[in-house]
Amino acid sequence: MSPTMVGLIGICVFFLLIAHKMPIAYAMAMVGFAGFSYLTSTSAALSMVTSEFFSTFSRYSLSVIPMFILMGFLAFHAGMGTRLYDLAYKMVGHLPGGLAIATQATCALFGAVCGSNTATAATIGAIALPEMRKYNYDTSLSTASVAAGGAIGVLIPPSVIFIVYGIAAEQSVGRLFLAGIIPGILLMSLYMLVIYFLARKYPYLGPPGPRSGWRERYMALGGGLVEVMVVFAISLGGLFAGWFMPTEAGAVGVAGVLLVTALKRRINASIIVRSLSDTTRTTAMIMLLVGSAVVFGRFIAISRIPFAMAEWASELALPSFAVIALILLIYLVLGCFIDALALILLTIPIFLPVAVDILGYDPIWFGVIIVMVVAMGVITPPVGMNVYIIQGVAGDVPLEKIFRGIWPFLFAIVVALALLIIFPGLATFLPSLI
Amino acid sequence: MQVLEAVVIKFNRALDFLAGVILAFTAILIVSNILGRALLGRSILGTYEMVGFLTAAVVGLALSRCALENGHIAVGFIVEKFPPGAQKIINLVISIPAMAFLALVAYNLFAYGSRVAVTGEVSPTTQIIFYPFIYVVAFGFLALALTVFFNLLRQFVGGERI
Repeated sequence: MSPTMVGLIGICVFFLLIAHKMPIAYAMAMVGFAGFSYLTSTSAALSMVTSEFFSTFSRYSLSVIPMFILMGFLAFHAGMGTRLYDLAYKMVGHLPGGLAIATQATCALFGAVCGSNTATAATIGAIALPEMRKYNYDTSLSTASVAAGGAIGVLIPPSVIFIVYGIAAEQSVGRLFLAGIIPGILLMSLYMLVIYFLARKYPYLGPPGPRSGWRERYMALGGGLVEVMVVFAISLGGLFAGWFMPTEAGAVGVAGVLLVTALKRRINASIIVRSLSDTTRTTAMIMLLVGSAVVFGRFIAISRIPFAMAEWASELALPSFAVIALILLIYLVLGCFIDALALILLTIPIFLPVAVDILGYDPIWFGVIIVMVVAMGVITPPVGMNVYIIQGVAGDVPLEKIFRGIWPFLFAIVVALALLIIFPGLATFLPSLI
Repeated sequence: MQVLEAVVIKFNRALDFLAGVILAFTAILIVSNILGRALLGRSILGTYEMVGFLTAAVVGLALSRCALENGHIAVGFIVEKFPPGAQKIINLVISIPAMAFLALVAYNLFAYGSRVAVTGEVSPTTQIIFYPFIYVVAFGFLALALTVFFNLLRQFVGGERI
């Protein structure tokens, strides 16, 4: 049997295992081990698995993951989201759909201190949903707007998904963070437009709230926005300026959140312990996934599937644009079933050589596009993680109702993707400055 | 079963607490290194390598608690459509090889740690003795394998959910 055929069988077995609810990390490592073992020898595979797990877990570049996660959980538990929502609410709450629009701005701002889209959705959902309920917002619009808004955090730095893409694709995390800023703001703006036009056409969806005075708005600025700006400036500002490495930027962000919340007496030992506990749990999940993906990637590499894919792509009589569209379609379909992180780790060794080496696309641009496509997966059925989280926060809203409200936001993501494909500079301009 | 469950939960939480302490120490070490560099013009020797090893310890110690709380991502929507009896059988068929594999990884990591200890291998730049960190990760995989077994046992024998 040819190595490529062994690789294809391995991929099929992997999908079979995860369809039977085996954790994705276990399935990747087991299939990677078995396949490598078949193509080389059992002792070589054992040695590879052992050394790859330890070297992955102890790689300095990966210690950035717990640092940015800790920064996000501290911000989450210290209630930074509440003050951000208060600000956004006072600015735009009086517009049609104003509370849902404020939710998008809050998600983007909170995303600037939190690297996890699920934590963003949970935080903002817990704050925004009761407010929207109070003003009789349509349940589909309110819940879907928070679920979709959480996905903005995937693009706004710091983003755990960008870190994982950077590791898998061997790209600079700092440049990826910069690349996500304009697309993140673009997506937030498109979401806002969608909500505004929907609420204007169907006023029952999002009745306007009371208008706040300028004094109230000014006072709100001093709360959430200043905190976020301080943390963002010292952490990511230092990274973009070249003062820190990504791990250092994460640790400085942790110190920054502790500092601004301590100054306002909003942090205590219990919040720190809870944040550490949440961080270790999330870190273990991500790092086991990364380690297993490395093992799986080693198997895929010796199966020569990436070479076969590259050959196939170069022999296709299709323009490069069509090949990229095909790859995006594959991501879109898989993203409906597989978690975003796992999907990126699983597929980058296969598709990155095609997109970058054969078709000549910029790996940073490709990263932004892929991250945006997999972000669609967090709000699409059947495994839209953010939707499940919002259902948990909302309590009594059926999943179908939330998914029904998601469509306009999916449309906004598709428009954002089209704009990124037509104008790649939206993603590559900021990284080109450093 | 309830006694066993209480023991497993306490054991995993203790490991996780230790992971949290190490994580906090890692963050303090990184920030101290930056401050030392910026204010005193001196870095803390070995920070780069130590942070990597400490992160490995954090991951190793937190693996099993993550599994205990079903934190490792799985795609459940297909299996959840099956009747409860079939779900139990599928879980049994899936968990046994996973447990065996994780135990095998743990065993080989212990063996790798022993080899590094015997040969006296140290980190390349600052000569840190790193085999204890390999043992911690090996121990983490062993605890993970045992937790997968415990989750399976809990499904068949019963007991309180967390």
